[in-house]
Amino acid sequence: MEALPEQITLAHGAGGKQTSALIHQIFERHFKNSLLTADDAAVLPRPGHQIAMSTDGFVVSPAFFPGGNIGELSICGTVNDLSCMGAKPLYLTCSFIIEEGLEVSKLDRIAASMAETAEKAGAVLVAGDTKVVGKGQADQVFITTTGVGEIVSQNPLSGAKAAPGDAVLVTGDVGRHGCAVLLSRDEYGIDAHVESDCAPLWKPVSAALKAAPDLHVIRDATRGGVGTVLYEIAHQSHVGIRLHSDAIPVDPSVAGVCGMLGLEPLYLACEGRMVMIVPKEEAGAIIDALSVFPDTQGICQIGEVTAEEPERVIMETEIGTQTYLPEPGTELLPRIC
Amino acid sequence: MCVGLSAKVVKIKDKGTVLVDASGAKREVAASLLDHLEPGDYVMVHAGTAIAKITDDDGHETDNLLDHLL
Amino acid sequence: MKQNHQMSAPLRRAIDFLKTYDGPEVRIMEVCGTHTHEIFKQGIRQLLSPKITLISGPGCPVCVTPAGYIDRAVALALDHGVTVCTFGDLMRVPGTEMSLSMARGRGGDVRVVYAPEDAEKLAAEHPEKPFAFLSVGFETTTPSSCLAVDHAIRDGLDNFTLLTANKTMPAAYEAMKNSTDLFLYPGHVHAITGLADVKKMQQEGVSGVVAGFTAGELITALAIAVKKYGEGVPFYVNAYPRVVTDEGSPEAKQLVAKYMEPCDAWWRGIGMLPDSGMRLKKAYARFDAAERYALPEGNGKDNPGCHCGDVLQGRCRPEDCPLFGTVCTPVHPTGACMVSSEGACSAYYLYGGEK
Repeated sequence: MEALPEQITLAHGAGGKQTSALIHQIFERHFKNSLLTADDAAVLPRPGHQIAMSTDGFVVSPAFFPGGNIGELSICGTVNDLSCMGAKPLYLTCSFIIEEGLEVSKLDRIAASMAETAEKAGAVLVAGDTKVVGKGQADQVFITTTGVGEIVSQNPLSGAKAAPGDAVLVTGDVGRHGCAVLLSRDEYGIDAHVESDCAPLWKPVSAALKAAPDLHVIRDATRGGVGTVLYEIAHQSHVGIRLHSDAIPVDPSVAGVCGMLGLEPLYLACEGRMVMIVPKEEAGAIIDALSVFPDTQGICQIGEVTAEEPERVIMETEIGTQTYLPEPGTELLPRIC
Repeated sequence: MCVGLSAKVVKIKDKGTVLVDASGAKREVAASLLDHLEPGDYVMVHAGTAIAKITDDDGHETDNLLDHLL
Repeated sequence: MKQNHQMSAPLRRAIDFLKTYDGPEVRIMEVCGTHTHEIFKQGIRQLLSPKITLISGPGCPVCVTPAGYIDRAVALALDHGVTVCTFGDLMRVPGTEMSLSMARGRGGDVRVVYAPEDAEKLAAEHPEKPFAFLSVGFETTTPSSCLAVDHAIRDGLDNFTLLTANKTMPAAYEAMKNSTDLFLYPGHVHAITGLADVKKMQQEGVSGVVAGFTAGELITALAIAVKKYGEGVPFYVNAYPRVVTDEGSPEAKQLVAKYMEPCDAWWRGIGMLPDSGMRLKKAYARFDAAERYALPEGNGKDNPGCHCGDVLQGRCRPEDCPLFGTVCTPVHPTGACMVSSEGACSAYYLYGGEK
């Protein structure tokens, strides 16, 4: 078989010998499982229950950042979206858009992370596609993943089910992924030890479903952060959400970076954090159940759902006043003013 | 108009530059507006420049001011 | 951000005092946009008795920057091929035709930087490209811009300029003194300038308190302001002594005096205020983007329906403007007060006004 050079060339996307070398030596080697074949489509056993399906594109720049890389991210994003619906992730497909010139060793690390993360989530990669585009037409590598999961929760989860009195939980400190990526772009000369929270969360979510069968909402706080998710839920359920500012977990370094740049941690992306909304009598059971998993050990209650002020997120400040959490805005820009 | 952040000087660099740390976020900032900074000093940073040498305890200060007043 | 300290007994007393105050009515203008932002973010208006009114003044450099300035910055990027470096705050401010964010979308090289010095560094790394830094801000920020020019001279750069719209506060105090009973002075301006201007105001019979920016510092400054106001004698108090000293920063003042000189300046919503701006001295004209690229005086037009001017002068509240929250929102701002997170309109909109 043709040996791989150090960098990807347009020929690796042309469908010939070099394409098959790339597929064999990188993707098949890492993703190897009985459902992944050389045929045109994967043939899969039918799950016993309803299925959930989700797809997501990943274009993060840079592709490698402290705490993860685009490959790990592309699996976490999709398996976490499935998990939010109470679906156990089963099958994944992936589509790569690779920029000519990408080091093969980087692609190898990305594929290895994908395989490892999928295994952690209990899912398998069953089909994939590779395209190579010219220099400058993409930024290193873009990945789209699609996932199918089997609904295992007894009772359907939905962003429309938040009810007054419910507890609002977050599974760990907020804004770390967004902060880690921002720092690794090195645009503002700031240095801090912040690692992405990127993690596949099916195992903790499945434990939460067992501990609290009446869970109302689970939402993956990715782009837009926890703040955006809370506003989405407040709108969907037509309720208010009251947060306690001193209860919101923020890593001190993330707080320091946000302080320097004038950013709000609640609006920085997470990639391994769920917002959960549960009847308040079940909150304790979920917190106990999730505290034992390394990726969710920081779970805590940050507020509650209210009947007042529907569709608004209220922040109770440390001096006992109440303000609105600003609604999600546009591009996050550092400010000096 | 002027977001300021208090930060601790952790290292003196050359040519009027110091490295500051604000709860784990580090950045080099201009220090030529201030004399005699030493590691351990606190400064108020605005737009990449240390604009004042400060004490880091706003609570103590406001309590003192208020004690005289109310 | 988390402050993590329990409220002290003196601070609780100050809050009680502000909540139950029943003396003569008092209007306090917070001059500084960062104060406006923090006051809304912390919900501090909820702690004030109905006898105390806060007015958000003109101290947000973004809000008082005229549309013509943005037009000139856009022209630098699109017509002159200059890499425009700016604080993030200016990106979405509407010019006559477009904002800098839109100019970037049309292929202009517009970059957000954290510090003026970062723009100077970029220029040093790319000698083949011309760079301009959008130098806005008050006394607090102006020294950083002068430092960038200082470094450009040190590094022998010929590709770095400033587009200046720097402003100074004393003229604004004068222009605003009849719109308020007393001022909450901007702590970080006076960290540079010291207390001379504040003392001068007191001599003219205008009172005020120099304030810091944390919730505790703002509550303290307000309690002092209200308490002293009741005594009926013009006063000033420095309620931010950990940062502000009597003389301020002589080094910063010398640096600015070396490179810049006062000029008349147009304040969006207020008009021309004599000697309220700063521009580069003739000797440094090669660092002045307006000179170097012969940019015409901007005659940019603000939206005529916009009441930013009245809001800035405390003549109306944001929700009294017909555009507020309908045509004009933080995502699609019409007036500058809605763009900057320090602008009174934006703060009202985002944090819920008098909630």
